[in-house]
Amino acid sequence: MMWETAILIGLLFGAACYLILQASFVRILFGFILLSNAANIFLLAMSGSPDGKASPIVQEGRGPMVDPLPQALILTAIVIGFGVIAYLVILLYRTFLDQRTANACELFETDRKRPERELS
Amino acid sequence: MNASMIVLPVALPVLTALIALLGGRPKTWRRWLVGISATIQLGVALALATCAYQMPPQVLGLGGWAAPYGIVLVVDLLAGIMLVLSSITALGALLFGFAELPVKVENPLRLPLVQFLIAGINLAFCTGDLFNLFVAFEVMLIASYALLTLEADDWDIKQAFPYLAMNLVGSTLFLVAAGLAYGMFGSLNFAQIAERSTEMAGTPQLTVFALLLLFVFGMKAGLFPLFYWLPNSYPILPNPLAALYAGMLTKVGVYVLLRIFGQVLPPDMPLLHTLMAWMAAATMIFGVLGAVSRNFIRSILSFHILSQIGYMVLAIGLFTPYAIAAAIFYVMHHIIVKSTLFMVGGTVSALNHTDDLGKTGRLWLLTPVLGVVFLFQALSLAGLPPLSGFWGKYMIIVEGIRQSEWVLVACALLAGVLTLFSMLKIWNGAFWAPKAQDGVYLEDSRWKPMTAVAAGMTALSIVIGLGAEFFMRVSFEAARQLMDRTAYIQYLLGGGS
Repeated sequence: MMWETAILIGLLFGAACYLILQASFVRILFGFILLSNAANIFLLAMSGSPDGKASPIVQEGRGPMVDPLPQALILTAIVIGFGVIAYLVILLYRTFLDQRTANACELFETDRKRPERELS
Repeated sequence: MNASMIVLPVALPVLTALIALLGGRPKTWRRWLVGISATIQLGVALALATCAYQMPPQVLGLGGWAAPYGIVLVVDLLAGIMLVLSSITALGALLFGFAELPVKVENPLRLPLVQFLIAGINLAFCTGDLFNLFVAFEVMLIASYALLTLEADDWDIKQAFPYLAMNLVGSTLFLVAAGLAYGMFGSLNFAQIAERSTEMAGTPQLTVFALLLLFVFGMKAGLFPLFYWLPNSYPILPNPLAALYAGMLTKVGVYVLLRIFGQVLPPDMPLLHTLMAWMAAATMIFGVLGAVSRNFIRSILSFHILSQIGYMVLAIGLFTPYAIAAAIFYVMHHIIVKSTLFMVGGTVSALNHTDDLGKTGRLWLLTPVLGVVFLFQALSLAGLPPLSGFWGKYMIIVEGIRQSEWVLVACALLAGVLTLFSMLKIWNGAFWAPKAQDGVYLEDSRWKPMTAVAAGMTALSIVIGLGAEFFMRVSFEAARQLMDRTAYIQYLLGGGS
């Protein structure tokens, strides 16, 4: 299990970095979603190999259990990550509406002019 | 003194924020509520700091769980000092905000969000648990994202994006670091990490872990290769919030660097400390060069935050009890001076309707009090005796000379000179320029209370400068407590009594 998990985490981090470095807002957004999931799986891996261990539910007469603490940490991290990603979606959407572009490179061009406001 | 008082610096702001949210639209009573609450918070912080000065650190196990199993809050002298500073800055920024805007046009979410921000900052200062520190950072950052975009206009809002992106990456890596700590030490409690990392001193795993933490908190503090997000995002904030952010947010990063590298990780990591010192030197130089190149008051001041962070982290990198005390003294000096300078910048832009140095002017003639306030703080930032900035820089440079780090000392001195130069630029542009392009709006009487708040903060920083002996004694005691790792481990794991 250990190597599979390690490779999965590596792949997720790599893909997330690749996506975040793209210019398109949507890809950046997906990059951050992948990144937070990669971190969560990394946390999960810290409870050690689950081979031969029971799920962490206390009952009589059961063998060794998986360390439950990382799972509690992940729960907290998921909630926080969800909130921040929701905020990121709104920020990107508002930037798209205000600046009329969904491309981060265009957004930060130095000679970019303030778009004229439509008269409504 | 009751240990359960430790929960107040976190609980009070949250409570105030919730009550203020119930108020809905901005009303006068909300300002009174938040103002009184901020005053009480200052009182509590002062009481905690006094206790920590006279007695061993106070420990509170949340929910009655003792140290290694539950989450603990600890207030030692360093945490106490930071709590006092955050309460002072918050109170100053709130009063400045009250002076700047009439009640009716205030954004209804601003006051509650500021209180949530303070709660997150205070929790970061008090906590004795790595994962809890992560949560505190997130509370603080989410409130800061919201405040950054709350009142930004259509054009400026894009600057929030790098801020958010960098901090998101930082938070994720912090999470990874917390996981790594749990995997390596089997605990997230600072004391247990300290205990177990001593045995691992010098191993590559510990170095990787320390590097990860240096990256995360260096980014939050705005260290050299990772500072791009800061100087572009701070100027889009409304003035009082810019004063609060400039004073506190990056200093939370510095505080955590002090806590983690000074106390939690073993002291014999010379390579890492050298790396930190050189990163700090680069931060100083690049920060101050950025400041020299800008032409807007708040951009100049934002770049100065970076170069000043460089001094503090340089002191941590030199890593002797004397240097750590210097860093703590510098933090005290810097938070007050920096937030006052942002207040002065805000007042100038209220008077001239811009903070573009090409268009401002004549203020020395019309508002000499503001000029005096600016002069004191600018010279203090540059480090002229007997103002507070001098003592901080003096201690850092003395320690640098003692360790024969000539290049680092030269960088620090050069950054000081360039700071003076860019402050003169503001002085010439805003105060001495013979005429302002659009005239000076003196009839807009908001500038009087705004100047008064800035003058109050200036008085405080003059007190730090003239009473430097007392503040240094406090810093030395804080540094001693910080570096006494065995005592810390005992207090935390000794049952929280």
